[in-house]
Amino acid sequence: MLFTSLDFFLLLPFALAVFALLPARHRPAWLLLASWAFYGWNQPRQLLWLAGVTLLVFACGAMLERVAAPRWRASWLAFGVGLLVACLAGFKYGAPDARWAAPAGFSFYVFSGVSYLVDAWRRALPPAAGAAATALYLAWFPKILAGPIERAPALLPRLRAALRPTPQQLVLGTQLLAWGLVKKVVIADNLAPLVDRTFGMVAYASPVELLAAVYLFSFQIYCDFSGYTDIAIGVSLLFGLELMENFRRPYLARSVAEFWSERWHISLARWFRDYLYIPLGGSRAGRLRTYCNVMLVFVASGLWHAGLGYGGLGATFLVWGALNGGYRWAGLATQPLWARAAARLPRLAASRGWQLLRIVFTFHLIALAWVFFRARSVHDGWLLLQRIGAAASDLPTLVLRYPWTGAHATALALIVLLLAVEWFDERRPIFERLRAAPAWLRWSAGYATLAMLLVLGRWQAREFIYMQF
Amino acid sequence: MARCASSPQRRLARAALGFVALGIVLYLALYAAAERLLRERADANPFHRVAVAERQVDWVILGSSHAMPLGFGGFESQMERDTGLEILNLGTQGAGPLYNRLVLEHLLRAHDVRNVLYVADGFAFQSRTWNEERVAEPKLLARTPWDPALARALARAVLHDGVSWRGWLDYASGFSKINNRERFAPDRWEAATQFERAWRPSASAVRSRIEYLYPEGPQPQAQARYLAQLEQLLRTAAAAGARVTIVKLPLPRSYRQALPDEAAFDAALQRTALLAGDSWRDLSRSFDAPEFFFDSDHLNRRGVTRLYDEHLRLLLTDRAAAGREGT
Repeated sequence: MLFTSLDFFLLLPFALAVFALLPARHRPAWLLLASWAFYGWNQPRQLLWLAGVTLLVFACGAMLERVAAPRWRASWLAFGVGLLVACLAGFKYGAPDARWAAPAGFSFYVFSGVSYLVDAWRRALPPAAGAAATALYLAWFPKILAGPIERAPALLPRLRAALRPTPQQLVLGTQLLAWGLVKKVVIADNLAPLVDRTFGMVAYASPVELLAAVYLFSFQIYCDFSGYTDIAIGVSLLFGLELMENFRRPYLARSVAEFWSERWHISLARWFRDYLYIPLGGSRAGRLRTYCNVMLVFVASGLWHAGLGYGGLGATFLVWGALNGGYRWAGLATQPLWARAAARLPRLAASRGWQLLRIVFTFHLIALAWVFFRARSVHDGWLLLQRIGAAASDLPTLVLRYPWTGAHATALALIVLLLAVEWFDERRPIFERLRAAPAWLRWSAGYATLAMLLVLGRWQAREFIYMQF
Repeated sequence: MARCASSPQRRLARAALGFVALGIVLYLALYAAAERLLRERADANPFHRVAVAERQVDWVILGSSHAMPLGFGGFESQMERDTGLEILNLGTQGAGPLYNRLVLEHLLRAHDVRNVLYVADGFAFQSRTWNEERVAEPKLLARTPWDPALARALARAVLHDGVSWRGWLDYASGFSKINNRERFAPDRWEAATQFERAWRPSASAVRSRIEYLYPEGPQPQAQARYLAQLEQLLRTAAAAGARVTIVKLPLPRSYRQALPDEAAFDAALQRTALLAGDSWRDLSRSFDAPEFFFDSDHLNRRGVTRLYDEHLRLLLTDRAAAGREGT
């Protein structure tokens, strides 16, 4: 069930009301039932896959807890993780057509399952987690479709604790839910038609349109994905459950390394770090291995995206992954140079102008990589960049002459609003500011948000981009 | 202690109630503004046209988009001047018999109607898309003015005709009007601007048009259900003393030949019309040269003029005269 559907907004209050009426000890059971209902709504067959993954994860997890012999433990781990990864790869690369596409959110609960098994193998899980807690860990409905990818050692104790939302959690949850919806249905979905049209006719669109589409897609994908996460975190808070932060104003990153490790899809970055990068030796196995490991992580991320993307099985995501890996290589190679320059010119390095320049430069590197993420083929992506490059010298004139429409003006206004919120949020969290603000200001902000959702929102159930992965 | 512990919750509950109460007032203000804007810009929506129509109507034209060119480019006024009759064109894009029945019932609540010209199309009898889903279509609801009687009619359609409750909720809450992305655009079918154009035949255009109009292909069961809706429409008209003439308008040959199972549909339609004692005219083969159409299946000005000169004028005046004599 989509967070933007009417069904969701009718069932959520019902789930909350029953949750509030139940004694605390029965609440996890209700949340599990509600999670299955939300996930299986309209597509009950999806529940079979969820049930299969849950059984596999729980059974292998239980064996890892009981068995003492390291060889047998490693075998159970390999069996569980291997089967999960094989299912995921089967859906991604073996599906003959869309009818065999993976159930919604499959990747995300497989990632959670893998992390559960590895943590069970490392004996990092809380003792006697129980089948219901494991099932709820995998199925928790706010996060099941697109994360955050929570870790069992962190989430299981929270699921088993008495779930009693505090007034602060209720307020913050509602605010996050509303802001997440604004990001998705107001910003991302208003940018989407402009992006779709241009990326659908790369050979015929004007260079200005192509350039605009590159910028617009950067904000579309951010708002689409982080909007989902904000809603997931907000809804969880309404039930008294805190999920991890998944986005931290990524376009204010000062380097590509900072973007990927601290600001964008944090839960996936950490998943790759802990279950791929570090086991491969991370940065402690020599310079060459570090470079290989970095590239391997980005290519693996590209491979994960590559299964079913905008153009079906596509090399575009591999190019996207490799490009980001290349940025990280460049970052690693030039790191000592930058450190020496910063030591020699500390005032310049700390100046706002220099920081802003780094932010703008990093954003453009990321936006350039997004071209291949969104393009229907590598050829299309390359053609788009070539066409913008060929017209580069005339762009200022072309931009001024371009017949901008109301849709472009709306898109620009929404991006400015987003950046303003992010800028203030970076200095001091916006919800903290709101908490300290007078009631009239808080209420005005609330009504303005709702008015935006009502007047500008596109509610025609457009799926979240990351649900397809 | 217990009182102290619960006070933050109570404060929050009080604040939430206040926020919701004021929110409802603001929502109603937004709704009123959207409704006002709608009424200022409304034009083609059939329910709006009913609301502003004369009390006495000689001819009501119902049907899907094929009926709409009869009102394009001032042609409706031209027919009215020529015949001296009050004509009201309520044709709506993609409207099947269920939608048209609701429009007619709404019209008959406060208007005297003498004759109904129902422009029938096979596609409109084959799919929920053009019937139940059309009634609940946000784009149409965004242009439909608020009327408590219509809200009740939609509620009945939810209970008896399989229309989604979401459509009723949308209409009652005014959500689509507030959320209308084309709130400042004129309420007009953009194809009206092509009325003067002549079509250049294209096999792929015909193919894609047929695929669009028959999303599930021919559906005999659905056809029977929607013919029953048409029967109900005919009974409603008869109960109000209005006579119905069912017509099929001229179509380009390539389009007509691409229609799936059209002969079976024609036979079934004719049976339904004759059972109800109403008349049936198949004009689909009257002329079919591309110069009479502005696209794969809609009449342009030349086509409408020829249709009017050769068939409609006589039909409208004869029937109207017969109706007057009858009364």
